[in-house]
Amino acid sequence: MAALEVRDITSGYGEVQILWGVSLKLEPGKLTALVGSNGSGKTTMLRTIMGQLRAWQGQVTFQGQDITRLPSYQRASEGLVLVPEGRQLFTDMTVQENLEMGAFAPRPQPQMRRNMERVFALFPRLAERRSQKAGTLSGGEQQMVAVGRGLMAEPRILMIDELSLGLSPRLTLDLFESLRRLKNEGQTILLVEQNVAMAMAVGDYAYVMAEGRVKMEGHARDLLHNEEIRAAYLGV
Amino acid sequence: MPAQVLTSVVDGLMLGFVYGVAAMGMTLIWGVMRVINLSHGPLIALGMFGTYFLFTGLGLNPYLGLLLIAVVGLVAGFVIYGVAVHRVINAPYLSSLLATFAVSMMIIGVGTAALSTSPFNVDFSLGSVAAGPLTIPGTRLMAAFAAVLVAGLLYLFLYRTKPGKAIRAVSNNRGAAELMGIPSSRVLALSFGIGTMLAGLAGGLIATFFPFTILSGETYQLKSFVIGVLGGLGNPIGALVGGLVLGLLEGIIPAFMPVSWVPVIEFALFVLVLLIRPTGLLGGRA
Ligand SMILES: Nc1ncnc2c1ncn2[C@@H]1O[C@H](COP(=O)(O)OP(=O)(O)O)[C@@H](O)[C@H]1O
Ligand SMILES: [Mg+2]
Repeated sequence: MAALEVRDITSGYGEVQILWGVSLKLEPGKLTALVGSNGSGKTTMLRTIMGQLRAWQGQVTFQGQDITRLPSYQRASEGLVLVPEGRQLFTDMTVQENLEMGAFAPRPQPQMRRNMERVFALFPRLAERRSQKAGTLSGGEQQMVAVGRGLMAEPRILMIDELSLGLSPRLTLDLFESLRRLKNEGQTILLVEQNVAMAMAVGDYAYVMAEGRVKMEGHARDLLHNEEIRAAYLGV
Repeated sequence: MPAQVLTSVVDGLMLGFVYGVAAMGMTLIWGVMRVINLSHGPLIALGMFGTYFLFTGLGLNPYLGLLLIAVVGLVAGFVIYGVAVHRVINAPYLSSLLATFAVSMMIIGVGTAALSTSPFNVDFSLGSVAAGPLTIPGTRLMAAFAAVLVAGLLYLFLYRTKPGKAIRAVSNNRGAAELMGIPSSRVLALSFGIGTMLAGLAGGLIATFFPFTILSGETYQLKSFVIGVLGGLGNPIGALVGGLVLGLLEGIIPAFMPVSWVPVIEFALFVLVLLIRPTGLLGGRA
C-alpha cells in the first residue's frame, strides 16, 4: 500500500484553477522528488495535500484512509507533516519552543525529549541556539529549525517545500546529507526542490510538473539521464 | 513632595495595576486574533456586578468571588467567540469590530433594563494601611496585589504551559500552528475566553473601591486602548507596565492641574506614541 496517494486532484485559488488533475503516489521508506519550474504548481499541490487549500475534485488517501475532507491540523496530528516554503517559523518564540510546537500532537508528545536530542544531533548548531528567538537566526539555521520542527512530529510522511531555497551551496550540501540520513533510517519523504540535480541524486522516484499537471514520472536516475526531459523540463 | 501628592501617586499606581489587568485582556485578544474587542468595557462592568451580587447577595468574600468571576468569564468568552466572533475571524477588521460592538450593545441594553444606570456600590472595606505619611485603603492594596498575581499567572501560563505556548504560536503564525497539529480555532476561543476572564477580574477588583453602573466599563475600555498602545498591542507584560504609567499619570496630574485634564493628557500621549512609536514603548506582540 502506498503511504500517500493523490488521485486526480484539481485545485486553485478563488476562481483560478491551478492544478488540472494531478496524481501522485508515495512509497513507504522512499524519497520521492517533485520538481518543475517556478509556478508549475508544486506548492499548490502540497498545500492541497495538507488541506490548507480545498481540493476541488479528486481524492487524497493517507495510509489507506480518505483524508480529502479532514482539517489540516488533524492531518498533521496523524503524521502528515509539511515543512512549508518560506519556513514559517514562530519567529517570536525560541528555537526550543519551535521544536516543542512540532511535537504538539498527542502521538509524538511522549517522545518529545528524545526527539529533540535527535534533532540536536542532526543539527548541532541548533543546540547552541536553543534559547534564541527563531527570528534572529540566519537563513540556514532557520531552515534547520523548520526541518527539525517537522521531525519533532514523528512524521509518517515528511514533505519539504524548497529545502535549499536561498541557502549557500555549503549549507545545501549539509542539508541534503541530513536528508539522505533520514531516508536511510526509513523516513518516507516528499521533496520539492529547485535544485533538480541534487533532488534526483537523493530521490528514488520523481515527478516532473508543468502548468499544473504531471508531465513525466519515473525512477529518479532514469529521468535525470533522459536528455529530452532534461532539456524540456529540468533546465539542466 | 507633600504627603497629599504622594498619597495620590501611590493611589494611582495601585489603580494602575488593575488597569493593567483590563488592558492585558484586550491586548491578548488583539495580539492573538487581530480583533479589537468593543465588548471589553461592558464585560468589565459585568465583572463589577459579579462582585456586587456575590458579595451583597450571597455574602461571599469579594476575593473568593473573583474565582467564580474568572470561571464564568472564561466560559462567557468561549460563548461570545463561538457565537459572534468566529464567523468573522477571517473577514476584514470592520466585521469583527461590528460583531463585538453588537455584543457590547446587547450587554448594555439588557444591563440597563435590568440594573438601571444608577450607581451601585459594594459595601466592603478592609480598613486602611498607614505607612509614614501615607494612608492606603486596604481594598486598593489587595487589588494591586491580586493584579500582580493575575499578571504573573498569565505570564506563567503563556510561557510555561502547553496551551499557553499554543496561544503564542497561533498568535505568531496561525497557518504554521495548524501545520503542527494545533487546532487554531479552539486556541482562538481559549484566548477570547482568557481575555474576557481578565476583563471580568479587572471589573471585579474595581468594584471593591469605586461605585459603578453598567456603563462604567467604557472608561476602562478606553484606558485599555491607551495602555495597549503604550505597552505595545499584543504584549501582556507591556500592558501591565502601560497600566502603571497611566495610573501614575492619574496620580500626578491632579496635583498640578484640574482633574478634567487627565483624559486630555492620556489621549495626547496615546496619539503621540502612535505617531512616534506605533509598536508601543515596549514593542508589540507576544
Ligand atoms: N495565494 C495565491 N493566490 C493566487 N494565485 C497563486 C497563489 N499562490 C500561487 N499562485 C499561482 O499558482 C501558480 C502555481 O504556484 P505555486 O504552486 O506556488 O508553484 P511552484 O511552487 O511550483 O513554484 C502560479 O501561477 C502562482 O502565480
Ligand atoms: Mg513553490
